[in-house]
Amino acid sequence: MSDQNDLTLRAEQEERLRAVWKPPEGLFLRWTDVNNNRVGVWYTLTAFGFMLFAGVLALIMRTQLAVPENDLVSANTFNQLFTLHGSMMMFLFAVPMFEAVSIILLPQLLGARDLPFPRLSAFGYWSFLLGGVFVGGSIFFNAAPDGGWFMYPPLTTRTDLSGLGADIWMLGLSFIEVSSVAAAVELIVGVLKCRPPGMRLNLMPLYAWYILVVAVMILFAFPPLIAGDLLFEMERLLGWPFFDAAKGGDPLLWQHLFWIFGHPEVYIVFLPSIALFAMLIPTFAQRHLLGYPWIVLAAVGTAFLSFGLWVHHMFATGLPKISLAFFSAASEAVAIPTGIQVFAFIATLWAGRVIWSTPLLYAVGSIAIFTIGGLTGVMVAIAPFDWQAHDTYFVVAHLHYVLIGGTLLPLFGGLYYYWPLITGKKLSDRIGRIAFWVMFAGANLAFFPMHLSGLEGMPRRVFTYPAELGIGGLNMASTVGAYLFATGVLMVCIDLALSPTRPKGVRNPWNAGTLEWLAKPEDENWGIRSVPLIESRYPIWDQKDFVAKVDEGRFFLPDAEEMKRETIVTTVLDARPLQVVRLGTPSFIPMATAVALGSVFILTTYHLYWWSLAGAFVTLGCVLTWLWTGTAIIPEKPEKSIGHGIVVPLYISGPSASGWWAMFITMLADATAFSGLVFGYYFYWTVHPDFPPPDATGPGVFWPMVAMGTQLASWAATVVAREVHARGQVLAARSLLIVGIVLTLASLLAGLAGPWFTGLNPSEHVYPAIVWVLAIWTAAHAGVGVICQGYTLARSIAGRMTPRYDADLRNITVFMHFLALTAVVTYATIGLFPGASS
Amino acid sequence: MKRLRDRIAGLRVTLWTLIVPPSMWAAHFLFSYLWAALNCAKVGEFATFPTLFAIGTAVALVVIVAAGWVAHVQANRKGDTPPHDSGTEIDRLRFLATATVLLAALSFIGVVFTAMPVIFLTDCR
Amino acid sequence: MATLSLAGCNRHQSALAPFGVEASSTRDLTIILLIGAVVIAVAMSLLIRHAIRTPGERLTHRQGMKLVLWAGGVVPTILLFTLLVTSLPAMRPLPTSRADLTINVEGEQFWWRVAYRPPNAARVVSANEVRVPVGRTVALKLMGGDVIHSFWIPGLAGKMDMIPGRTNTLVVRATKPGRFRGVCTEFCGLSHALMAFDVVAMEPAAFDRWLAAEAKPAAGGNALFAQYGCGGCHAIRGTGEAGAIGPDLTHFGARQTLAAGVLPMTTANVASFIRHPEKTKPGVRMPAFDHMPPADAVALARYLQGLK
Repeated sequence: MSDQNDLTLRAEQEERLRAVWKPPEGLFLRWTDVNNNRVGVWYTLTAFGFMLFAGVLALIMRTQLAVPENDLVSANTFNQLFTLHGSMMMFLFAVPMFEAVSIILLPQLLGARDLPFPRLSAFGYWSFLLGGVFVGGSIFFNAAPDGGWFMYPPLTTRTDLSGLGADIWMLGLSFIEVSSVAAAVELIVGVLKCRPPGMRLNLMPLYAWYILVVAVMILFAFPPLIAGDLLFEMERLLGWPFFDAAKGGDPLLWQHLFWIFGHPEVYIVFLPSIALFAMLIPTFAQRHLLGYPWIVLAAVGTAFLSFGLWVHHMFATGLPKISLAFFSAASEAVAIPTGIQVFAFIATLWAGRVIWSTPLLYAVGSIAIFTIGGLTGVMVAIAPFDWQAHDTYFVVAHLHYVLIGGTLLPLFGGLYYYWPLITGKKLSDRIGRIAFWVMFAGANLAFFPMHLSGLEGMPRRVFTYPAELGIGGLNMASTVGAYLFATGVLMVCIDLALSPTRPKGVRNPWNAGTLEWLAKPEDENWGIRSVPLIESRYPIWDQKDFVAKVDEGRFFLPDAEEMKRETIVTTVLDARPLQVVRLGTPSFIPMATAVALGSVFILTTYHLYWWSLAGAFVTLGCVLTWLWTGTAIIPEKPEKSIGHGIVVPLYISGPSASGWWAMFITMLADATAFSGLVFGYYFYWTVHPDFPPPDATGPGVFWPMVAMGTQLASWAATVVAREVHARGQVLAARSLLIVGIVLTLASLLAGLAGPWFTGLNPSEHVYPAIVWVLAIWTAAHAGVGVICQGYTLARSIAGRMTPRYDADLRNITVFMHFLALTAVVTYATIGLFPGASS
Repeated sequence: MKRLRDRIAGLRVTLWTLIVPPSMWAAHFLFSYLWAALNCAKVGEFATFPTLFAIGTAVALVVIVAAGWVAHVQANRKGDTPPHDSGTEIDRLRFLATATVLLAALSFIGVVFTAMPVIFLTDCR
Repeated sequence: MATLSLAGCNRHQSALAPFGVEASSTRDLTIILLIGAVVIAVAMSLLIRHAIRTPGERLTHRQGMKLVLWAGGVVPTILLFTLLVTSLPAMRPLPTSRADLTINVEGEQFWWRVAYRPPNAARVVSANEVRVPVGRTVALKLMGGDVIHSFWIPGLAGKMDMIPGRTNTLVVRATKPGRFRGVCTEFCGLSHALMAFDVVAMEPAAFDRWLAAEAKPAAGGNALFAQYGCGGCHAIRGTGEAGAIGPDLTHFGARQTLAAGVLPMTTANVASFIRHPEKTKPGVRMPAFDHMPPADAVALARYLQGLK
């Protein structure tokens, strides 16, 4: 592209890019921004703030426990403190922090201008902020949840034993789980579809591999908890006895659903830190990371194995030993991939010329702390040892070693490493190192003695302990250590606060080799000047004149001729350019949607059901407005050139489009939540000989079969509509969609008619309750199906969808596939399963 | 044999084939858990020689070994040596195949680990 | 091992000071695991230090991958496999027979309902104290009354949850006599921290004598007990007071502690607990009897303490 030698042209291009990517300013308007640079920073700061808040809660607890039989805080306050400390650190810090950092870093790592769905990121952030303040703020009203972060029923479902706090936990955190899943969808599509040309799977930065793996884990781990939350609130608000043993329910079902989420969660917060190591260790070893496929093996292997560990949190529940042993075996096996990752880092450091630095100090120090946590992890995976250690301070020690070594210190290391990337300024090496050693000493002093106090008989979650146990000294040491650790955190905060006073530094100060370090200290909002062609894992090191070529716009998409925000969509395996996609622009709509959706959850907490129903309608309105005005917009021309003679379309639909992937991934999460409910049905059947009760009347066979049949017919109508529409028969497609709407509505009503006409009373016994829940879940999805079909019909009539530009129809077909599957499983289960219709 | 190898080397390698071995581990794990739970809850015990469990484990191991072998053949197609870090079609393929071989090894170990309890614990207590 | 024993400052609620078969073998396992963990942690630290200090290019790609394969993959796999197959047999519960003593324990907020079921005699109801004969196998049937609790006697055996709607069995055998302490380890509400119990391991003959005595009814009734309606919740066998909501008080005075292992058994403590139970135990189900004149409370306490 010889014309890039023309300096005037380059200046004009930069002027256009700057104008297109100009962030909204002004007191109010700035909050409408959706660009990953700004949303990511808000997200990170908010999560950091929640971490500090939850840390202060921990200090209060440690002060209470410094001496035996202390009465600084009441039992009631203490229970709120530890519940909120755990819940906030997990739901409001560890997971969102990883997503926040990834929202900042991922586009830079992938040479993209932004993530594929910027407005979705903004929606996720506002949901997170709202839900987080709602949950965290409750402690100032003495209304914080007090049932532990695991919220075991029946303590938490019995309304005489637990108050508003339980609802705040369930509904507030469900809301945040929704935003976490939204971010996961965004990150998966980002990694798979928005890589720069040439960045094949074997050249992807390892951080991106980890993000892909972790986001997929979120997709399968969070939904079972959302399903559990649903059952939980049905019991609390309506008295449906899912966990009430007196009415056939089972408290253990909650434990299963919670820990199916809870154990992968541990790896969800740990793997991103390993990902940070995988970025900074090659930089400071000044060589490629050794064993790239081994790291990928370890990440993928850990992700799978981590779903076979959940019962090791339930070793003491009295399940048959053979069942426990399977989970014990998997818990041992999961240590293997972790060991491989650590040794890949050691080998890289060994083979390279190590440049000693503050971020590396954090990385190495956290590996040391994590190793101790990992070793005690292997110990508690042995069931007989766990029967002693479970629910004692030994486990508190174990999990804090894992989380401090595997999440917190790596994040601080990442902070020192990436701060120059975000702000253009380095943090103080001196303060950073002192803070590290203070935190390192504090963490060990706080948590090492807990191993012993646990074995000496100190249970977890106690607001006091008797002097006669002789563990006062160990606890005092832990308290001193906790304050020391907090001092270290404070020093980091001071270092951050001093940053604005420091001058800008140089570009790529660590001499790293990966794409994100193309960022200049005086940052432009456009992300990257031109999207490069990637030929190496470390292009800045390996590709000739790489930085200059990017800066001079010699690669792809150096311009914004049509004054639109754009980035390149590529193929999954080999990153061949497929499309230039137009990205979402600043808008109030993500914030409005978050507020509306939040109101549904928050108003339900206070039993204001009519208001929350109104909130649900407003949410629906917001979502439809968002989709109608902001997605699948027919471009002004079919294709454009991205340079070097490559011309790609501006609009694609079906399995190669990013929107189709987002729909598919979202529906995977949805199907996982549904499988949590189905698991509930079969769990009751397996464990309880009287499920369904011998005298119970089920929903019958007739109505469930009608519902299944009509739903399958509606699905067929939609699929045929997609096909004839693609052949240009628009009228036929519209007619089929109308038929589909009628059939889906019929299925919705027939599905509810079964339990309704047989008079199943859900508050009487768990059997009618779970049947109703399955029927309602499916009916609600049918309702969404009707809206989808109606929306697509309206798009067609409004001329916003044509046979050439048919993304809407293709995307809703994905929804209809999953809806058909849901209907078949639900109606076969409640209508045909043995005993159901006797 | 040579022809078979050539056929295999020509098979497509994707993200989906990468997760075949660990998916097999997951399926076997779920199978083990359900087998034990159903036997203990519905029958109250399991047979002295658990035939069904042994067959399930054998099937899982065979599938994992087969997937690993296919990937091994693909990973050793002619070309340069590791690390497979060039921006070429063949290197991308070999990288995915190598990762699949490694995952097959891990999954194999995982299945063996999962099968151990059945040897040592023989009742439902 | 010596250092560990020294670190154990308390002898009666410690997993490191076992008095039962299972806790002993777990203690030995713990020590082996700890030694292994220390060795591995030290080795890893030294290796990382060495890796950082080695100048560049000393380790080729091939050697590096060998390190990852052997040190990161093969060796851990062998170690973990060994650990797994040696720990699996330890998961087997002790064998039981029909002749064994069964003790039902049910967790309530925040106390323990205990019932001894000897093989050839009637059941004996008690509360907040568990006595076991040394050398005999005992099957503990654990149930959750209101919410989930967990039953843990660190010196005797590992813990087991008490879940409403389920009955879990924990088989134990004590190896030496003594007074010990057990505690609730599943968070169960406001006073979870104040839910403990006394454990007494006795020589078999002494245990049989004690159980026979425990089975006998109380010496006599009390007017204040009746007047304040204590029998609505508490039972004292042989007096017609038969409430089943709170702990059985038939041999209350023979227990060492009051309020589920929280207070020493003194008249003053009993009297003040009757008038203000919530001051000792937040969230306790027992209503406050603050309208009861202190003199009555003391008299009632003396009566209860007399129930040996």
